[in-house]
Amino acid sequence: MTTVSLQSLVKRYGGATAVDGISLDIAHGEFISLLGPSGCGKTTTLKCLAGFEAIDRGRILFDGRDVAPLPPEQRDIGMVFQNYALFPHMTVAGNLAFGLEMRGRPKSEIATRVAAVLDLVQLGGMGTRYPRELSGGQQQRVALARALVIEPKILLLDEPLANLDATLRDEMRTFIRDLQRRVGISTLYVTHDQAEAMTMSDRVVVMFGGQIAQAAAPETVYDRPASEAVARFVGQANIIAGVVSAGSFAIDSPLGRLPMPQQAQFAAGTRVSVIARPQAIALTAATSGHTLLGTVVARYFHGAFIDHRIAVGDQMLHVQAAPPALHEVGDQVALVLDPAKLWAVATP
Amino acid sequence: MSARTEPARGRALLLIAPALVLIGAFLVLPYLNIVVMSLREPAPNMPYGSGFSGAGYAKFFADFYYVGALLQTLWIGLLSTLVCLVLGFPLALQIVRASSRWRSLLYGVVLSPLLVGIVVRSYGWTILLGNNGFINRTLLDVGLIDAPLPLMYNTFGIVVALSHVFLPFMVLPIMGALQTIDPALENAARSLGASPRQVFRRIVLPLALPGIQSGAILVFVLAVSAYVTPVLIGGMRVKTMAVIVVETLIDQFQWPLGSALALILSAAVCLVVVLFMRLTRIRWK
Repeated sequence: MTTVSLQSLVKRYGGATAVDGISLDIAHGEFISLLGPSGCGKTTTLKCLAGFEAIDRGRILFDGRDVAPLPPEQRDIGMVFQNYALFPHMTVAGNLAFGLEMRGRPKSEIATRVAAVLDLVQLGGMGTRYPRELSGGQQQRVALARALVIEPKILLLDEPLANLDATLRDEMRTFIRDLQRRVGISTLYVTHDQAEAMTMSDRVVVMFGGQIAQAAAPETVYDRPASEAVARFVGQANIIAGVVSAGSFAIDSPLGRLPMPQQAQFAAGTRVSVIARPQAIALTAATSGHTLLGTVVARYFHGAFIDHRIAVGDQMLHVQAAPPALHEVGDQVALVLDPAKLWAVATP
Repeated sequence: MSARTEPARGRALLLIAPALVLIGAFLVLPYLNIVVMSLREPAPNMPYGSGFSGAGYAKFFADFYYVGALLQTLWIGLLSTLVCLVLGFPLALQIVRASSRWRSLLYGVVLSPLLVGIVVRSYGWTILLGNNGFINRTLLDVGLIDAPLPLMYNTFGIVVALSHVFLPFMVLPIMGALQTIDPALENAARSLGASPRQVFRRIVLPLALPGIQSGAILVFVLAVSAYVTPVLIGGMRVKTMAVIVVETLIDQFQWPLGSALALILSAAVCLVVVLFMRLTRIRWK
């Protein structure tokens, strides 16, 4: 049972601040993703937690105990690296035994635990192979097993799926999540892939410029992003600037009058950005009763849905609709925004 | 496909033909000639007689002068290799981990012995190590010693000079091996509970082994076959096999014996190298 707490973490490289006062609590067994573009400080945060980087300010608590002064080997962490970092000169079993040997466990116990963890990652009987003899997915599972066999306080994963092909990546997502649930270990997962973060995590922490922009459940981050930047980074978003109308029941934008998002509350006159996911907009044939009219500029068939580019005023909106395609390129269409699926944030 | 590879193979053969002819004419044939020569009959007043005999080989094994020289030569090679390894490994590690600006500077420093001819380098050491040399002079003047230390005309002097000359051949292969080690491996080992010392012993050292192997073989082979440095530093007192072979061939004019000694040296070196590779066999490559 381990809870991990980062408190006002600061890490500078020369003049640049990589991590700028991050605070985050990880509950026992929780799966948290650090999501952000490259250079947002997510990997640095992970390295600080692992002890590979010394922090400039703040505290790192494992069950209330500050581990910040400890070197990595005394922190009791399990880490999976982007390129797996398997020891090429050791067999799979040798790799798995390494952490237990460092802990001075007796040989018989090491053998049992290595065999058990090999079964856990479905690699039973592969113990005598060398890493180079394994496929990418198998190496990935060895890396996971190596991090888990020492029964660490927290599991850290640094973009572990970045080097796998798309099919395998999907498979490994579920594999890692299932394994994490079964073992019940607190997990911090660094990724720049928003789909990965959304599907796997209990909580997604979106980071920009060394700071946390939003930390919430995947649904919340997607449906009610804390800022325009979060909305743009997590999934596709149409962002329409506007002003809250008198009576706060609608938003006036250059494109026309938009409905007030159901979940949002703003005083009249507030400048806001309306966030409309491509699925929040419906297309119908243009009639006189509609306020938002546009022209279909392009149409892309994706199988499960059809992606439309609609020119409305001087803005280009993305709209996803279920097949069959009803509107041709060049058609005049009306856009109907569902207030239940809309969201708005105050413009800074 | 095959229509394209057939002429390509013909062209490739044509391209390597000059090299093959060159090696055949100037390496393989002379070596065969040495083998034949080593089995010739010795003769007075002539380099060799008309018949064949194994007298050269018999003389080697009968005379402890030769066996002792071979053992001493191998010993010098072994010591030079060890000195180069002990000095070269930390140096290679440092260069690989240095910032790029320092790296090129250190690289240049390591390669610098190769820029000066081997005769000049060995002479440089006689100036330092001689009885009247810089080191002994300074120590005598300061009053730390009463008589010159025996720094030259012995194994010590030869090993010092050979190690200096051949250090780059140890450092470069080790650097090559160290550069291929993924830095994440060290972090991975640390995260699994290994101290920096354990990381070095369990991760860095084994992964550098291929480089150590090549470096050690290079230095050993170069050191046991070195001629100029042992002649200049060893003088008349320490004679390595290479020195004796030249003496036998040029001064004593005994071509069969000289050839036999040269081949025995080669065979001994091959044996040591094979044994060494067996001992440090790498299974994971």
